[in-house]
Amino acid sequence: MSENSIAPARREQLVLGIIGTLAFLLVWETAARFDLINPVVVSNPTRIAAAFVSQLQSGEILADLEVSLIEFAAGFGLSLVVGIGLGIAMGLNRLTEYAVDPFVWFLYSSPLIAFYPLIIVWLGFGFATVVAITFLLSFVSVVVNTVAGVHGVDPQLVRAVRAFGGGRLDVIRKVILPAAVPLIIAGMRIGLGRALHGVVLGEMFSSNAGLGYRITFYAAHLRTADVFVPLVILVVIGLMINQLGNAVEARLQAWRA
Amino acid sequence: MGRLDLEHLSLAYAQRSGAFLALADIDLSIRDGEFVTIVGPSGCGKSTLLMLIAALLAPTSGSVRLDGRLVTAPGSDRALVFQDFALLPWRTVLANVELGLELKGIPAQKRNAIAREHVAMVGLGAFERSYPHQLSGGMRQRVGIARALAVEPEVLLMDEPFGALDAQIRQVMGSELLRIWERGRKTILFVTHDIDEAIYLADRTIVMSASPGRIIADIPVTLQRPRPLDIRNDPAFTAYRQRIWDLLQREVMASNSWEQPQRAAVS
Amino acid sequence: MSVPDISAVTQAPVGSGSSRASLASHRFARAVVGFMAVALFLIAWQIVGGNEIIRSDLISYPSEVVETLFQMSASGELGSNLVVSLQEFIQGFLPAIAVGIAAGTAFALSRRLHYLFEPLIVALNTSPIIAFVPIVVVWFGVGTQSKAIMVFLAAVIPIVINTMTGITQVHESWIRACRAFGASKSQVILKAILPGALPSVMVGVRLAVGRAVVGLIAAEMYVSVRGIGRLIQVYSTSERAAEIFVLVAVVASFGFVLVTLLRRIEGAIAPWSLEP
Repeated sequence: MSENSIAPARREQLVLGIIGTLAFLLVWETAARFDLINPVVVSNPTRIAAAFVSQLQSGEILADLEVSLIEFAAGFGLSLVVGIGLGIAMGLNRLTEYAVDPFVWFLYSSPLIAFYPLIIVWLGFGFATVVAITFLLSFVSVVVNTVAGVHGVDPQLVRAVRAFGGGRLDVIRKVILPAAVPLIIAGMRIGLGRALHGVVLGEMFSSNAGLGYRITFYAAHLRTADVFVPLVILVVIGLMINQLGNAVEARLQAWRA
Repeated sequence: MGRLDLEHLSLAYAQRSGAFLALADIDLSIRDGEFVTIVGPSGCGKSTLLMLIAALLAPTSGSVRLDGRLVTAPGSDRALVFQDFALLPWRTVLANVELGLELKGIPAQKRNAIAREHVAMVGLGAFERSYPHQLSGGMRQRVGIARALAVEPEVLLMDEPFGALDAQIRQVMGSELLRIWERGRKTILFVTHDIDEAIYLADRTIVMSASPGRIIADIPVTLQRPRPLDIRNDPAFTAYRQRIWDLLQREVMASNSWEQPQRAAVS
Repeated sequence: MSVPDISAVTQAPVGSGSSRASLASHRFARAVVGFMAVALFLIAWQIVGGNEIIRSDLISYPSEVVETLFQMSASGELGSNLVVSLQEFIQGFLPAIAVGIAAGTAFALSRRLHYLFEPLIVALNTSPIIAFVPIVVVWFGVGTQSKAIMVFLAAVIPIVINTMTGITQVHESWIRACRAFGASKSQVILKAILPGALPSVMVGVRLAVGRAVVGLIAAEMYVSVRGIGRLIQVYSTSERAAEIFVLVAVVASFGFVLVTLLRRIEGAIAPWSLEP
């Protein structure tokens, strides 16, 4: 496909997307202005914009953002370390895999949101709980995909390294780990999204700081316009994470056909 | 130098339906610098034989000796070239050729120089930085050959190296291989199911029976060297072909694979 | 799905038939080791919790959990809340399937329409759906309606996306085959596109279940009169680990049962597509 045939399609995509969004905002605003919907309860774009400005000025929302990001980094980082480590151990050692697999499968198939009260019982309210929930939600997809990545290695490549005199460590370092990377990255991407869920969940129900908490705080005070500020920020973060994931995946797979 | 002695070599392994004898009592001596081809019906164990020499498998009985020393573990004195190339897809051509050298512990600068030399020797100098997926099948196998030669093995073990290439490329690669071989005259053990290829390349062709694999003929090939591509039309060549075909036909008909479906591959 | 044992690769004979024998023994070993690991875990749990080595109201123990399960079922606590949750789930999920398939089809057929709505789809897909719970509750009240809406929002997106991909990725060759035998446009849709897209749609529905359950529980936890989520919330402040485990099991089973059911339906409707 030549560059020329891509550009107009993408422009069309962008333009229509913007038109769609603007149209939606316009309809919303108009409905509120004409009292078709209750502006206090439902809010409208102009009010939300004003709320944005005032919250940014007060700086409060930035403090919440910082808290959320720290919790996110901690929980996700932990899930990577444990998830990839465990995944590799399981992938390389059959006994470990067979023994740990039932538990991983259980965590994978259950809606982990149900574990949230247990974590509160154990860790109380606050930072530790949010990080723990984030870790739990994210770590499962990292493990599952890492194991799949290690298993998916072409045995012929292992044989090649062995044939040239490579020992077990060489095989792991030179074949298994690099070959597992694409699936590990895929697991990380899914984990990223789930970690964000975890942070929001934790903050909404068991914290008094962070974007998730701020949403419930404003909602409880029926300050609908203010609710949208942390909400929109979270949506934007979600979008950015998704884009980041795409870019990383594309970069690390330059060697794939 | 590259002298291989196989004595009473056998391999049997356990299956649900009892023991399966893959190779039965192989006795073979290969002189330094000989180009020996092994041809036989599918499943006769010729690839297994290579794996035993490479020490990726251990024999049930018998021994493999290289220059009199018993072979017990894989090493760079016997280098393998695989049918499906077995290149690491995330490494460039150059990095792939360096693999064996890395495993020998050779320092980076020296590795790089040796690798570049061998990449150039197989005619891929312009593709040092390319990735395997960007190359054709023939080019990929040339990388495989370069990788094997780079570690300066005593013996080159080639397991149906051109099996995955189309017929025309196969012939060209064969003459390429001979050109490279003429320069260093390493001992080569070359497994194939293609009779013409076996005769064209060899100083000596070993014909194996259907499983359990045995050597049923050891045929010196005294055609001129260097071998032009059209030598395949020579009457002498045709005589070899006929002789080997007769032997193999008997084996193929007698073997299980004619009457029964192939053992299914494990997915 | 076979698992190549990396260490065994270099020992098994090349192209061997022995692999088939070892595959069966692998499956057996997997089951045995897995079973033993779970059994050991349960035994350890029973000992530690039952003997108060760690406070049993923090971690409970298997026999207490089972006992509590019976108690909660007998008292009707479990049953009545489960019914409410199920109702809310169905009220939100069925419309999500209908709207999702309709919208996904429309978007697949009209690229322009797709681009108009794309920002909305992407935003809902990549953002944490839980964050919308408070707003939805403010708008739709504390009753079952807001829960159903959350289920709808969570479920509709994967269904739309998967329907779209399913339709656009129908093999050209199937369409061509129909056309070659003289099919009209509507016949092509009926005979090639719909069946071809079906597996993808089913995958989308399966994905939607997971998300929908999360949305439902979160909404019920936030505020509600009845429902499993509310039970979870109530017990989370009570340090009654046994009850919590029962609820965990209930929610987990709910998701599991639904997904298994969907797989069966998938197998019946579109047997050619089932992945292992």
